[in-house]
Amino acid sequence: MNAYIYDDYLNKGRYRRALNRIEIRLTDLGLNGKIIRLGSIKNVRDVIQAEIKNGIKNIIAVGNNETANKVIGAMITNKAYGFFQKDVLFSIIPIGDNNSIATSLGIKKEEDACNILLARRIKQIDIGVAGNNIFLNKAEITSSNAKVSIDEDYTLELTKKTTVKIVNLNDDLGLFCKDRIDPYDNHLNLVISGRGEDNTFLTSNNIKISGEGELILDGSVAVPLPAEVGIIPQKINVIVGKERGFI
Amino acid sequence: MFSKDNKLERLKDAETIIGASIRVKGNFNGKGDIVIEGFLEGSLKTEANVFIGEKARVNANVEANEALINGEISGNIKARRYLAIGKTAKIAGDVQCGEISIERGASITGQIIVSASDAKRVDKKIETVEEAE
Repeated sequence: MNAYIYDDYLNKGRYRRALNRIEIRLTDLGLNGKIIRLGSIKNVRDVIQAEIKNGIKNIIAVGNNETANKVIGAMITNKAYGFFQKDVLFSIIPIGDNNSIATSLGIKKEEDACNILLARRIKQIDIGVAGNNIFLNKAEITSSNAKVSIDEDYTLELTKKTTVKIVNLNDDLGLFCKDRIDPYDNHLNLVISGRGEDNTFLTSNNIKISGEGELILDGSVAVPLPAEVGIIPQKINVIVGKERGFI
Repeated sequence: MFSKDNKLERLKDAETIIGASIRVKGNFNGKGDIVIEGFLEGSLKTEANVFIGEKARVNANVEANEALINGEISGNIKARRYLAIGKTAKIAGDVQCGEISIERGASITGQIIVSASDAKRVDKKIETVEEAE
């Protein structure tokens, strides 16, 4: 049984045609299911928890990174998560911009997403956490004075305005260390891209960031500094496409 | 360890890379290869190998299996197996290693102890190494 979680912004008329195409395709493939519209829901967690208890096997976020982040956040804080881990799958049907999570999972277009759901290629990947919020792709900050503490052993200080990325699941095919980022390894990678010999790469699960500004999770959720970043013990089962950015 | 153009080669696929514009303070302990191109203050220790880039400045004691030094180090270096010192290296501190190679132009201020299998000890205080084979 499938539950499709539609984000608020899909109520806009310009997405109607894309949604119609998806709904027809899902029906053709026999993948139709319950549609839950976030616009009419105040407590997403309670609704998703109830659906899992009622026997939903696949939860599909229809929208963008923000939708995926909200849905996964509701799933993993769920009391039924132990059960969920074994049986319930997460996937995305990307619509509109800001869809780097879907791209990382190898889901590039909404039409492809329906076929990928049918193929049910399943991977179990890590989930990052910053403050009280989770992320799948990365936590990112652009700053000239951020201080990054690693494993409480040492600190990194930036000497110029730089973007610091803490990556779980890579969404950047041009990243200098893209082949070394592994969403299965129970670790996060801190990456600072620069020119020539100004690239930084390290691995940690205990990163504290202080300074001015805010940390942006999956391009959609802002977390104020100071913030602690790590991974949670649970993993999430996701349906992925062949063209995903990891093995 | 030396490339065709006689430069110390940077470690490939190092576990940790610190870029040129980053300052690191604290105790840096690792198990894999480490590349430092920026500034480090504290201590640096790994079970594997260390590469210190040409523009790097390290105010720390360094301990590794093998170390390749091209930059400035103020601190003692202990390389259990092999230490390669490039022509741009400036070291102010004592050096202890199993084997050593020093390129012409490198500068070392401190004591050098090379203790291979027979624990050969070379007690030498030198200000500047102009040539070594």
